[in-house]
Amino acid sequence: MMRKLLMFTVLLVPLAGCYDQTEVEQQSYVIAIGLDKTDDEGTFRITFQAANPEVGSTLSSGGSQEEPRETVTLEGNDLIAAKDTANSVMTKQIALDHTKVVVVSEELARSGEFLRIIQAATRTTELRRSVQIIVSKENASDFLKNNQPLLETRPHKYYQYMLTRATQTGIIPESEIHRFFQITEGDADAFLAIYATTEQTEPKETGNEDQYIAGEIPVEGGNPTQFMGSAVFVEGKMIDILSGQETRVANILDDTMDMEALYSTFPDPKDKRYRIATNFSKDRPTDVKIEYHKNQPTKINVTIPFTIEVVGVPSLVDYSKNKENRKLLEAYIPKLAEEQANNLVKKTQEQYKTDIFYWSLYIRKYFTSIDEYEKADWNNKIYPNAEINVDYKLKQLYFGKMIDDSNLGEVRD
Amino acid sequence: MFFKKKKQTEDPKEVPISNSLEKNTKHLKQLFSFGLNKDFSVREITARYSNKKINLFFYSSIVNSTKIHEGIIRPLLEAQGDDLTTIITLENIKESKDFGEVVDDINSGNIVLFLEDSNKAFSVNVADFQHRGIEKPENENAVKAPKEAFTESLYVNISLIRKRFHDKQLIAEAKPVGARSKLDVTVMYIKDVVNNEVLENVRERLDNLTIDNVRNIESLEQYIEDRPYSIVSSLLYTERPDRAASYLEDGYIVLLMENSSACLILPVTFWSFFHSEEDRYLRFLFGNFSRLIRFLAFLISLLISAVYVSVTNYHNEMIPPDLLLAIVSARERVPFPVVFEIMLMEVSFELIREAGLRIPNPLGPTIGIVGALIIGQAAVEANIVSPIVVIIVALSGLSSFAVANISMNYTIRLTRFIFIFSAAFFGMLTLTGAFLLWVMYLASLRSFGVPFLAPLSPNFQSNRDTIFRKMIKNEYFRPGQLKPKDMRKKG
Repeated sequence: MMRKLLMFTVLLVPLAGCYDQTEVEQQSYVIAIGLDKTDDEGTFRITFQAANPEVGSTLSSGGSQEEPRETVTLEGNDLIAAKDTANSVMTKQIALDHTKVVVVSEELARSGEFLRIIQAATRTTELRRSVQIIVSKENASDFLKNNQPLLETRPHKYYQYMLTRATQTGIIPESEIHRFFQITEGDADAFLAIYATTEQTEPKETGNEDQYIAGEIPVEGGNPTQFMGSAVFVEGKMIDILSGQETRVANILDDTMDMEALYSTFPDPKDKRYRIATNFSKDRPTDVKIEYHKNQPTKINVTIPFTIEVVGVPSLVDYSKNKENRKLLEAYIPKLAEEQANNLVKKTQEQYKTDIFYWSLYIRKYFTSIDEYEKADWNNKIYPNAEINVDYKLKQLYFGKMIDDSNLGEVRD
Repeated sequence: MFFKKKKQTEDPKEVPISNSLEKNTKHLKQLFSFGLNKDFSVREITARYSNKKINLFFYSSIVNSTKIHEGIIRPLLEAQGDDLTTIITLENIKESKDFGEVVDDINSGNIVLFLEDSNKAFSVNVADFQHRGIEKPENENAVKAPKEAFTESLYVNISLIRKRFHDKQLIAEAKPVGARSKLDVTVMYIKDVVNNEVLENVRERLDNLTIDNVRNIESLEQYIEDRPYSIVSSLLYTERPDRAASYLEDGYIVLLMENSSACLILPVTFWSFFHSEEDRYLRFLFGNFSRLIRFLAFLISLLISAVYVSVTNYHNEMIPPDLLLAIVSARERVPFPVVFEIMLMEVSFELIREAGLRIPNPLGPTIGIVGALIIGQAAVEANIVSPIVVIIVALSGLSSFAVANISMNYTIRLTRFIFIFSAAFFGMLTLTGAFLLWVMYLASLRSFGVPFLAPLSPNFQSNRDTIFRKMIKNEYFRPGQLKPKDMRKKG
């Protein structure tokens, strides 16, 4: 009897065996998904961009003439169901396991329909939670078609490098789909998505290094695609665009964002024609302290410890050895930064009625239940009326390798 | 039934020795088919001391003729004395009273003397079996270790062990094995350390053997082991006398036999197969580094092919996109599924190994060329396998060589195939299941009553000499799983 039972169980294995099995080469790996609006409500234009494995691989010689990517656009009601329709054009089973980005057109994002279609991402096991959301100024399908990287021809590599580096410099936020759902379903705060475009608009004339949004940057050469700034989502609906500078400030104020050092310029306090180039680094966590009062305005104190390395003083004013000048700079930089931050905070308080810094995390401890927290209403009651004090604390100011600048008088002698 | 029948027939060897020399000679000549048996020699001598006839019987091929001449024949012809024992100058003389003993003696290289008017036979050991000299170990190489290896002579082997461990308690007990050709199995142990239960167990198993002939240690292993169908061996086979000596010291039992250039150590644990004697000769860090590498090799060899199969078939989200695309582009022109591809390469690797082992020495280099060409290049260029599979299989093959012990090596190679198949069913799920079952099986094993994974599981007081070893100065205990009589080694 035992023996028969054992045989039976052993035989069950091959009977069910190999379910789910797919050979790697029988799948097409979609790297980017594009989502657009159509005229019909409930129908979307879905774009799949799959990588061609044969391009860029030293192992094979046959694929060198082929395109590095295959981009297919079709209409459909659902992201996952559209995969099968796409197979009418694409040869292999479509796998979303390695998808890096979801590109959403600004039109769709602003319409509020975006939440409906992206909802599928939480159900399926295929799409990673670390997929980044990009909002494109034009249609997502156009964005994906026009994006022709020159060096990283393989799409996954392009997005990987592009997004990692741009996030490190802070000009775009980290906009993982997981964070999107966290913030949207948390019913507080606003979500920042990466803003990008392939269409060059009129270049902005009076822009400093990060005061642009994508499309405005006067760049010559390279790939037409620009990543700069962020799209603000409140309750799953896009309401505004932030410039690169504002995004940077938001990244600094938000402790959940990973940001390394960034280069930034400040107007020279001694000579307004020039700007001082600095390396701004925040190597200690941002400290957010919230004092919650039920019937009074809540107090939010934010302290940002940071370090400044002066990398260039084009005005050639001696800030390093002149003690007075140094003192001036030490007081001036935090003041300027605070001014920027306060402007942004004010904008969020007045315009968005909610924050983009994920500060609601720090107030949750005052509530014993979710109901209580939701009743207190961070978005409409607490945050817009809060007294917010942003304090930039300059921990270190140093002047790079060389203390002295070249003496212009002597050089021109 | 067959054996019983044999026992019942009248055995001509059981006949007692008679008083008549003539009768005895005739009987013995008949027993050994004198005349037909070319090297069976009989020499008749008239001894000077007694003026009586003495007949000498021996196999001329297995005795030392100078020794016979100088120690027996010459004294008999020339010396004067009262009695045979004072005449013969060789080490020892044994008396026997029946033909059974006489026959065994002659077979094992003794010369037997029959005296006129005496019902006793005297046998003198003049055996001189031919054997190799002491050479370097062939299979258990080491850089920093003694270079002597066992050879095919029991006496030499015992001497090699005694040379390393000077203790009066070191016992070399002989147990005759075999019904037709009797050979001694020498059981070596340290009397005041060894666990009596294990020793009794071994003795019993040796006594219970009912076969005509056990030629050597290698076949003895299969006769006395617990689970002949098991995937792991329960005795450790080694050709290094230093290894045998160190195991003896820890309370293990060593089995030796004539005709084997190795010994068997028992009881064993998983760790004995995993360790190499060189680990102990190397300094603490160096030895443990080498163990770490070997443990990695052990895992790689067991699992890498199976993991590749499961990851590519079921979990391709685990592969970084660059590698994934590289695999895909390589596999696009390969006509077989991954499992088949891996099996193809694994089997051809096994083929090369087997062929390389059996091929006559002068042809050896061809295997390298053919193997490298077929596997390394041609197969990839012909799109039969993808280059990544070649890397995987080469890695797993290479790693299997790092697990030096031959029994463990086979265990790993067989298990690898089980794992590949299990990975092909449901990916990581079944692979984890199979691995778990395999470890459970190891944990359930016992070698002569000692749990196979001890002292790790179950836990015993010991030096914790498992994956890593302690500083040699801090080793206080003998392995507790053996339950030795003397637990402390130091201090």
